[in-house]
Amino acid sequence: MSVNQALDTAPAAAPLKVRFGGLGTGLILAAVWIALIVATGLYRPDFFAQQTLLAVAFTMSIVGVLAIGQGIIGMSGSFIDLSQPAGLIGASLVAVRLSEAGLPFPIVILGAILTGMLWGGFNALIIVFAKLNPVIVTLATNFIGLAALYLVFQLAQVPLNSDIYVFGRQSWLGLPAIFWPMLALVLIVGFLAPRTRYGRRMIAVGGNRAAAKARGISLRATRFATFIIAGGFVGFAAVLFAGTAGPFNPSSANTLQLNIIAGVILAGISLSGGRGNFWMLLLSIGFLSTIPTSLVFFGLSSDTQSIFQGIILIIAVSIDGYRALRRTP
Amino acid sequence: MRNFTRVAAVMALATPAVLGFVGIAEAQDKFKLGMAVGGNTCCEWMKAQGDVARAIAEQNGWDYVELSNNNDPATALKNAQIFVQEGVDAVIQFNGQPSSNPAISAVMKQAGIPIVTYDIADPGMYFVGIDNLGAGIAGGEALGQIIKEKWNCEPDLVISSEGAGAGIVNEWRTGGMRTGVKNICPDIPDEKYVSFEGSGDAAVALQPARDLLAANPNAVKMAVVGINDGGVLGLINAAEQLGRADEVIGWGQDGAFITGDNVNPHLVGSVFYFLEGYAVYAVRDVIKPVADGNTPPLKADAGDPASKVQPCPVTAEQAKGVPDMPERVTQLLAAPAGTTAYDLFCPNKG
Repeated sequence: MSVNQALDTAPAAAPLKVRFGGLGTGLILAAVWIALIVATGLYRPDFFAQQTLLAVAFTMSIVGVLAIGQGIIGMSGSFIDLSQPAGLIGASLVAVRLSEAGLPFPIVILGAILTGMLWGGFNALIIVFAKLNPVIVTLATNFIGLAALYLVFQLAQVPLNSDIYVFGRQSWLGLPAIFWPMLALVLIVGFLAPRTRYGRRMIAVGGNRAAAKARGISLRATRFATFIIAGGFVGFAAVLFAGTAGPFNPSSANTLQLNIIAGVILAGISLSGGRGNFWMLLLSIGFLSTIPTSLVFFGLSSDTQSIFQGIILIIAVSIDGYRALRRTP
Repeated sequence: MRNFTRVAAVMALATPAVLGFVGIAEAQDKFKLGMAVGGNTCCEWMKAQGDVARAIAEQNGWDYVELSNNNDPATALKNAQIFVQEGVDAVIQFNGQPSSNPAISAVMKQAGIPIVTYDIADPGMYFVGIDNLGAGIAGGEALGQIIKEKWNCEPDLVISSEGAGAGIVNEWRTGGMRTGVKNICPDIPDEKYVSFEGSGDAAVALQPARDLLAANPNAVKMAVVGINDGGVLGLINAAEQLGRADEVIGWGQDGAFITGDNVNPHLVGSVFYFLEGYAVYAVRDVIKPVADGNTPPLKADAGDPASKVQPCPVTAEQAKGVPDMPERVTQLLAAPAGTTAYDLFCPNKG
């Protein structure tokens, strides 16, 4: 097919610039979040305390960084990365071992990030060269990764009073120290995504593969870069996880997936690619992180959290499906 | 001469066959023990249980067959059928997925093979296991003593880190610990007892623990109990992150995080089970009598077990003198037959 034929027959390309719309999404998220906070505060006025802020901010931190990686995967049209738990634990284990070896904290961070990137590259190799569905591949590699991790270790923990341990317990300006890197990353990625060549290519590939290819964008190279970069965020999240989790085992991160995926979808980042606003993650993850804390203030058991999370995920996936339908000509 | 040659040839050819038959006869006379280890890669002790059983079987001159249940009920049932085919004389199992236990019992009963089960009871199996309720009460009473000395029995909260997935074991351990605390400090009001679902995992327990602490912002003097050390550590770590760990004390179960270089100073004690050494109890009270032809009456109830494994509550200080599991296994196998890990390692015997 010639370039002209491709351009003639391809559906309209997604705009290269991410719309800052999603304003409607943001307003709805903010409204729901505020409503939840107000309702909880009316029921229990001690909800408005620094302890609550700390608890919610801690929960937001690790999930937020992982959601950036998940958002990159979604926006690039690779739908979803189900291998984040294995990647997170693997990189956390590297962080633990480097800490045990007494290496400086920056080296620990670098080691974890590189491990995450390697993990992302491993997924990308299979997806790109075997041309397999990313969802199936990452589901399989998660199983493989967790099984392999169980062969390597059963429990791991950073040394008490190591730099990473202390970092996980510090606070700055009234919020956890681990919150600030998450906030910075969300803001930076949200700013850079539509303004850098890689970001625009990622969005173009997610929005319309045929048109992106016609423009000369290498789908293979973009996909590779996407998974590696997303893996890097998993690696950084592993530093936050290892610093705060205490003793962990290979299965310790399995429960995070639900909130990450729901957070990405609620933020308006399309899992089928091409649209979304990373800044909205602050609202979606914030809202989702407040729910379990609110439930405890209402005196509800932790079992009810799963019910609410499941309902929210169904709503989120329905919204994403509805948006996809609306875009289909 | 020819006849002599013929006779010599027949004897030479027959000798291996005769020896073989004798060998088979001897093997058939030899007691054969089957062991199905749990097979969950989470836990080193499951493998160690097999190592100890194998060594004890060798010491007794028994044949030994070991299979892994792979933490899967269908595999556990299949292993039971393999044991029957192998002609074992008795079986020990740890089946972490007990839904297949009734079927396993039926298979063993039909084959006339006595079976011992560790820690999870079934009506058709000899029960050998820790007294989880006793372990809970012992840990709770030890913590209660500290609450009494430190806070005059006036804590702000007594927090339970639950692990509902463990079923009745969770009720025994965490409920037992609350009972133990109440035995020492009976006047702590009921509203001071709160709980959260920690799943027995320090990392998983972290977020619900933070939420519970946030919902009790004024609590300072907090005592923590839990289904295991990991669940208790989840609350302790959460308190550290919220800047409220100064007066938190925790008493765990299973001893997983009370030894080594990374013991959290707020984890003041735990209860050792010495899971790796269960075979000593099983062999002493069930398997050896079976091998000797004196099959004991079936005792399948956790409350009236075939053999009760004694829990060992220890403070963090006392735990420093307890060796790690590989060393414990080595010392246990070098000790006289019938010596339990409790006898060797518990600093609080009696």
